[in-house]
Amino acid sequence: MQHLRAIGQTGEVKRATVEEVHDRIRLLWERMEEERKGDVKTLGERLEVRRE
Amino acid sequence: KNWDDDEEGDEVDDVDDVDPEAEYAAWKLRELKRIKREREAIEEREKELEEIERRKNLTGEERK
Amino acid sequence: MANHRADEKRFLDERGSSGPLAPNGLNPATIMEKPVRERIIDCYFWKDQCFGVNESDIVSRVVEHVHFIGGTYGDAQRPSPFLCLAFKLLQLGPSDEILEEYLGYGGEKFKYLRALACFYVRLTRQAKDVYRLLEGYLGDYRKLKRKGRMGSSLTYMDAFVDDLLVKERVCGTTLWKMPKREVLEDLDVLEPRVSPLGDIEDLLESEPEEVEEENG
Repeated sequence: MQHLRAIGQTGEVKRATVEEVHDRIRLLWERMEEERKGDVKTLGERLEVRRE
Repeated sequence: KNWDDDEEGDEVDDVDDVDPEAEYAAWKLRELKRIKREREAIEEREKELEEIERRKNLTGEERK
Repeated sequence: MANHRADEKRFLDERGSSGPLAPNGLNPATIMEKPVRERIIDCYFWKDQCFGVNESDIVSRVVEHVHFIGGTYGDAQRPSPFLCLAFKLLQLGPSDEILEEYLGYGGEKFKYLRALACFYVRLTRQAKDVYRLLEGYLGDYRKLKRKGRMGSSLTYMDAFVDDLLVKERVCGTTLWKMPKREVLEDLDVLEPRVSPLGDIEDLLESEPEEVEEENG
């Protein structure tokens, strides 16, 4: 445990609230949507994405 | 990253909405099968209860 | 790595003696069988990805790493990330409200998150809640990849949920013996299930061939 404490991990984990869980889901989903949009290839589509 | 190492070369594709109609139709068949099974289970259960009831109603004489 | 083991040992010891029980009365630390637990806490995914993780981090881990359901897989019987995270949930004991986020809001977006939460609900909740929380997803027909000893196969959310409701063993874990649906209906604990397909009598009247076909 000692080196884990040294890097700030104590083995104690802070419980997440329902709101935190909800926000994490939303964040991950938005990130995935962003990546999906980033996949579009043509210049036209890219401009389309930028406009959104 | 050894937990992801055999991801590629995997022939099973889990992408949804490739053929929505077929995917719905396949689900409908599975659901009908479940409904049928549930109905059979309920009928089975009813028969069981009837049998218990019948035995309860027999007099000592009839049971011999 | 010994530190991780030590930490898990403490969890098992605590839960084994005086720790809180799951809502269904089982000890979360012993719901999975010992050999499986040992494989989990020995595997790299557990050590690298499941340490210091809370209920929010679980979501990130699922999105990043869970691409199939299953218990142990391959010749080496390696525990799947799915199984490792289910074990982590047993350790964390998330509240009903958080589970509903996993199943509902999160489950719509990330199907493997819903699958994991369904599995966890089946392991830890009372029968009436298992039926209540899970049966709605018999209408979710998204595809799921499954890996076992024999390799990969395709299944569906509804089929997986059905397995959880009727089978004895799922994903390398023996499920606790839950009262059957019809018994709980007799006790007025449950209302009869209504299928998304609607009135069953009508269906059986209108599509006899299809039902017949499924008979075989």
